[in-house]
Amino acid sequence: MIFNRSIAFALSVGLVALFVQVSLAYAQDGSALRVRLSSDIRSTDPGTNRDDNTDAVVLHMVEGLVALREDTSVGPMLASKIVASSDGLRYTFTLRDGVKFHNGAPLTAADVVWSWKRYLDPATGWRCLPEFDGRGMTKVLAVEATNPKTVVFKLERPTSLFLTTMARTDCGGAGILHSSSLDSDGRWKQPVGTGPYKFGQWKKGQYIDLVRFENYASLNGPRDGYTGGKKAEVEKVHFMVIPDEIAGKTALYAGAIDVFPEVRSADIAEIQKKPQVKIEVAPAMDMYAFLIQTRDPVLKDVRIRRALALSLDLPAITEAVTEGVCQPNSSAIPSSSMYYSTVQRLGYRRDIAQAKRLLADAGYNGEPIKMITNKRHSESFDSAVLAQAMAAEAGIRIDLEVLDWATQLDRYTKGKYQTMAFIYSARLDPSLSYEMISGPKSTQPRKVWDDSLVQEKLAESTRSSDRAKRQVLFDELHRKMLEDVPFIVLFNSVDAVGLRANVVGYKSWAPAKPRLWNVHL
Amino acid sequence: MLSYIARRVALTVPTLLLVMVAVFALIHLIPGDPAQLMLGDAADDATLSQLRQHLGLDRPLTVQFARWLLNVVHGDFGHSITNGLPVLPLLLERIQVSGTIILAAVTLATLIAVPAGLIAAWKQNQTVDVAIVAGATLLLSIPSFWLGLLLMLQFGLKLGWLPVVGYVPLSENFSEGLLYLLLPIATLVMIESGILTRMSRASAIDVLRLEYVTHARAKGVSESQVLRRHVFPNAFGPTLTMIGVILGNLLGGIAVLETVFTLPGIGRLLVDAIYARDYPVVQGVMLLTALTYVFINLIIDLCYPIFDPRVTT
Amino acid sequence: MKAFFKHKNGLIGGAMIGFIFVVALAAFFWTPYNPLAINLHIRLQPPSATHWLGTDEFGRDVLSRVMAGAAASGTVALLSVISAVGLGLFMGVVAGFFRNWVDRVLMAINDTLLAFPGILFALGVMMIVGANKWGIIIALGLAYTPTVVRVVRGTVLSIREKEYVEASRMIGNSELVTMLRHVLPNCAAPVAVLTTSMVGWVLLSESALSFLGLGVPPPAPTWGNMLASSRQYMQSAVWLSLAPGLCIALTLLGINLLGDAVRDKLDPRMVVA
Repeated sequence: MIFNRSIAFALSVGLVALFVQVSLAYAQDGSALRVRLSSDIRSTDPGTNRDDNTDAVVLHMVEGLVALREDTSVGPMLASKIVASSDGLRYTFTLRDGVKFHNGAPLTAADVVWSWKRYLDPATGWRCLPEFDGRGMTKVLAVEATNPKTVVFKLERPTSLFLTTMARTDCGGAGILHSSSLDSDGRWKQPVGTGPYKFGQWKKGQYIDLVRFENYASLNGPRDGYTGGKKAEVEKVHFMVIPDEIAGKTALYAGAIDVFPEVRSADIAEIQKKPQVKIEVAPAMDMYAFLIQTRDPVLKDVRIRRALALSLDLPAITEAVTEGVCQPNSSAIPSSSMYYSTVQRLGYRRDIAQAKRLLADAGYNGEPIKMITNKRHSESFDSAVLAQAMAAEAGIRIDLEVLDWATQLDRYTKGKYQTMAFIYSARLDPSLSYEMISGPKSTQPRKVWDDSLVQEKLAESTRSSDRAKRQVLFDELHRKMLEDVPFIVLFNSVDAVGLRANVVGYKSWAPAKPRLWNVHL
Repeated sequence: MLSYIARRVALTVPTLLLVMVAVFALIHLIPGDPAQLMLGDAADDATLSQLRQHLGLDRPLTVQFARWLLNVVHGDFGHSITNGLPVLPLLLERIQVSGTIILAAVTLATLIAVPAGLIAAWKQNQTVDVAIVAGATLLLSIPSFWLGLLLMLQFGLKLGWLPVVGYVPLSENFSEGLLYLLLPIATLVMIESGILTRMSRASAIDVLRLEYVTHARAKGVSESQVLRRHVFPNAFGPTLTMIGVILGNLLGGIAVLETVFTLPGIGRLLVDAIYARDYPVVQGVMLLTALTYVFINLIIDLCYPIFDPRVTT
Repeated sequence: MKAFFKHKNGLIGGAMIGFIFVVALAAFFWTPYNPLAINLHIRLQPPSATHWLGTDEFGRDVLSRVMAGAAASGTVALLSVISAVGLGLFMGVVAGFFRNWVDRVLMAINDTLLAFPGILFALGVMMIVGANKWGIIIALGLAYTPTVVRVVRGTVLSIREKEYVEASRMIGNSELVTMLRHVLPNCAAPVAVLTTSMVGWVLLSESALSFLGLGVPPPAPTWGNMLASSRQYMQSAVWLSLAPGLCIALTLLGINLLGDAVRDKLDPRMVVA
């Protein structure tokens, strides 16, 4: 009896000690920010083996010649001055003074040349190589250091997207690296860049730690996208891999993490109600849409496509699936873009009667139309469920087909679908947005809009750098898109980030990437 | 007996091969591939084929399988497509996590279930028995992820006693690591003890009817001695068998718990790898799982004659 | 006293299952609301007089969905179990009875099935058959066949040496007739007990598959996919998970109580829980 009681007592003391120890360990530590990652990063080599999470982490450590500003335009980063020749074939970059790499070495033009030679080498596997090697928008003929502070790029063709593409996050921002990022055999070791944080530790599948770079040379001024003033206000950023969304949300509430990017719209109201957490929201540029295969025997008739568009209450769908957080948008151009004009705001208005008439004209007999969707993105999935219900009111029969993301992506790439609820990742320039959806289906089956006139206008918009001229072209494209109905845009995403109430300085923004500089507890 | 063992072991090889071929074929034939996933909606033919070549996915399936098999025989399980990690160390690391949880849970559950079942059988149809059976049945009826989530919300969020996310290996820091494992183990223990209690009760009831128990009682042996010496050893046999089957099933079901509690275990690794079409990882996990299943089944098969003399070899 | 109590357990279990069965059957003809009817104005409402179990994220009536879910989950579970038992009986009897290379081949196939991870299997089957309830039924049926095979084969092994089997052979019956007339019926008891447990396991598996992202595709409700999609609303709309969760738990409870009574009647010596 006594024996049992002593055991019980010892056990309780032991347990209490355990709790105390662990509470101290996983409690909030003022010198570190804990951020949730929905999946482990793929590598630390910028722009090669990557996905969105990889870019987000890597861009804390590397910086390119130019970078995105807060309004998603492109501004200078490591370059202090950029001069483009009048024919668009020569770009001269003057480097900033006093910039240092993580290993203490100063930034020189030679480093820029080295980094770019590496990017342009096919063996590196740089994601954006096709844009710069002649297959895409232009060909980089040479990258030369005319003096230790100046780099000259020579191009084969002029393009208005040269700097934009350089700044793209999925290109790793064309981050400038020091040659010590590679080991003696030329293999990738770890990123030695110029960013406000440097590489700490990567425990694969679990977490990545970034450590403050003490000698970071910041630009003056306030936060401005990936450029602007940056300061590592905490000593360490601990990116934790928590794939399950609900586990992550619970972790935020429990105080086990400080920052939860990619909050679902449905959870925003819930987070706003709780006192220990808060939310930061900014419009972002992912596009939620219903794709339509214009080569499908049933859907090749534009009247049926139009009827589908008119049968849906698009604002209601947006309102419901995003809890009113996102704004409906019928244009291929994101609503936060500077090219989002009055014309771009035009869309469809629900008209069941008109939809029925069009269906009757086209001779639609209730043939089932399959809509592919997936459970990975609940807003997209929910929108498909709602579309099915709404289209039924006009007599259109939609059957949902739920696939896993990899399978759906495969069908998208091959064009093997009738309709699908899809999410396009952000494109920073309207030309890129239209390029994303249009093209010859015979060679690029993933494109939804196959029209030679559209191709012409698109090409024109990439050649010209005149803003007004490009706006006219984009407006024309939008009007045509509303008539042709190659796909139906629903809305653009938001960058909603959940934060503990004591996180100061965090800002959401259009590219929807977490930025942990200028942030502290 | 020895020849029987040898034959049974030899049989496992074609089974293993069959499983590997089936898995390989299935995962490659399912639409979608890792190259596409990496490029997302911007995947054009040129970049795709370049990436596929880079990943070695452009060669015919038979060639790919042969190469993989050859490498495996030499101990090289390849590298994960998702993050380039070598597969074998990754597998071993992950299986430690899952294994710790499963073994701890099943052991604890057995420790709870066997005595509970015995007591229930001994006091059959009295209040104690009813309570135990009802409790056990209720426990095994609850979906594991729901129970896990309920426990996490109650103990992790509301009461704040235990962490809701994260993992520290026991080898690194035993006391801290243990806290992260308490909730998932508790969830599993609750469900498994339900199953095992019913099992041990049923077999104990059986044995209690047997003649030699009556005989022992007639001899004047005390009840507790009867339980300990006669009922317990015989009741345990079939329970042991079911433990083997349960262990096997658990390897599949652990994925759900690992997702809820964010544990870097082998179940989640498999699910994630399937969704990411990470072929080397899927194949590696499958090989390991198949080996484990085959091994467990082998043990069970060999144990049958020991516990049930009606089965001849 | 003992007999009465055992009887009572079975009665309670039977009553529970009977009730659910009736509800499921009724759901084919009538539910308070259309389980698929979306109404965005009344989303996520707690239980009230008009909606006894509240509404879900699309404004659909939870009670109607639970009833329809009973029908759907029940169909999936029953058909999966029937497939597993059918195939398992066949393989188990043939393997146990013949015991030569046939046995070895069948057991190799059986072990292969057993070793296959459920999710890969389900994904694969659904690619071929389509992402619908037939895919789930085939996947789950095949996943549970090995368990049936093991039990059946074990039983066959223990009775094949019995006298009546020998006698059947001696009087000249073909192997097939012996199998059908003597061996098969004796498998009935253990298989019956296993079947009742299996229905429960299949129900749980269906919900686990839905949780992992597979499962019967929406908008059609099953208890499993209702439970899985209720997870994100655990804090804000707890009734969404309580309804299907309790249904699964209570159904399993009923099945197990009934199964106990079945076992007691058919073969009190059976040791399968």
